[in-house]
Amino acid sequence: MPQDQRLENLEQFLAERGQGLMRTAVLLTGSVDAAEDLLQTALERMLRQRNRLHGDPEGYLRRTLYNLATDGFRRQGRWRRKLPMLQTEARGPADPTAEVDLRDALVRLLLQLPPRQRVVLVLRYWEQLSGAEAAARLGCSENTVKSAASRGLRRLRELAEAWPDTGGQLHDMTATGSQGS
Amino acid sequence: MNVDVEDLLRKGMERFTDEVQAPVGLAERAARARRRRRQAVRVAAAAGAATVVTAAAVIAATGAASVPPAPPTQARTAAYVITRVENALAGQHLVFRGHTTSGGEPSITWAYGPQNRFVEFTGSGCGHALPDGSCTNTGGSEPYLAQGTALIGGKLTGVYVTYFDRKWSGGGSPYAEPASACSTTAALEMGGPPVPTDHWSAFINATLACGAATVTGHVRIDGVDTTKITGSPVTVRLSAGYANVVREKWARARWTLYVDPSTYLPVRMYGSTETYGGPAGSTRFASVTDVQWLRPTAANIAKTLVTIPPGFRHVKSPADQ
Repeated sequence: MPQDQRLENLEQFLAERGQGLMRTAVLLTGSVDAAEDLLQTALERMLRQRNRLHGDPEGYLRRTLYNLATDGFRRQGRWRRKLPMLQTEARGPADPTAEVDLRDALVRLLLQLPPRQRVVLVLRYWEQLSGAEAAARLGCSENTVKSAASRGLRRLRELAEAWPDTGGQLHDMTATGSQGS
Repeated sequence: MNVDVEDLLRKGMERFTDEVQAPVGLAERAARARRRRRQAVRVAAAAGAATVVTAAAVIAATGAASVPPAPPTQARTAAYVITRVENALAGQHLVFRGHTTSGGEPSITWAYGPQNRFVEFTGSGCGHALPDGSCTNTGGSEPYLAQGTALIGGKLTGVYVTYFDRKWSGGGSPYAEPASACSTTAALEMGGPPVPTDHWSAFINATLACGAATVTGHVRIDGVDTTKITGSPVTVRLSAGYANVVREKWARARWTLYVDPSTYLPVRMYGSTETYGGPAGSTRFASVTDVQWLRPTAANIAKTLVTIPPGFRHVKSPADQ
């Protein structure tokens, strides 16, 4: 297939499925900028492998996104730790918007989790894969997935439990949340 | 609080990404990047491994001339963008002009160094305002109040002018902005329109420097692909007096800056403040300010000062207006 045609097909594919891929990439990276870079890198890899790829490219792209996210986030750790993403102060007692705040805070905390925990939670609760499916996607054991999901959810639950009754201070949780996996 | 964390996480993910779109031309961009990389490898292989870095640099440089420039979204980190905005604000000697729309009541802000002028106009639905401040619902938009600095006796002075009752107060020091919006109280300032501030650019600069903001994407404004910088939302308990007036307990402020990627100066600001937690339900105030940076001509600088119209009566404090 001529290269122009191939690119046209790829653009067509991205026009149809790109939004879903971008949304996943945003959840894996935490920003649209980084998500574009991640998806572009995955596309580059796919172009490199094009002769060996058959069928729907989405599966390959998703696998690549997750693998890149698991590997690449370690390099970003230093900058990410500097971001005080949980700066909520002076929270009050339960109010109608508390759940909305907590929901936003959970996603912010998700973005601070170690790479593998974050990837596993995105696979489990965004892609809605089972533990076994997530393990197959990541090329690791189901126990590894379970353990990472459990640790990630524990951190999120800690936040949820502390959320309404802190009397004003939700401490910066970024300092402990971005190391290791 | 008994909450289903997993369910909230799902909803949060949904909300966090619901406006995300796939960029157009990503496949072509990936193909171009791959071509460059492949070319760099070929050059390196031919010339020896020691030249890899140089070759890649040369290809990158020549590539920039032969292909369209990479979109500004590419490979820009939050740290990089925010530093550039800080530098742009620190180095600018331009006159700030902001045109704000919020709930149908437009306002204009001018600022240059310590001088500033904020003028709020009646909305088109209000028209001419009576001396008690109420709307007549007739006539066009007109100046309602002004706040900022005026030269009185050759000295820069903070003043407050109400046009509807033809009064002005002031005579003290100009209102000084807190050092940055990193404190919760000061952060509320960012949730509203750019009210008169002392050294507004320095204030924004310090706010960015303290890490209360992050780069969250790109938005096209008037044909320019701007970089979006979002401040961390802040929630504070309202002071008892104010809480009694509005019958609400809490205020939450959010703000966003959109910066021109060529100058790194803000071209649009968005602020919102929501008060809630009382029997009256929540009240949300949002404003959008379009920003221009103008040359510091004498005419433009003059507009950064409030002038007291002839015949206006001086009163002791804004409470008398």
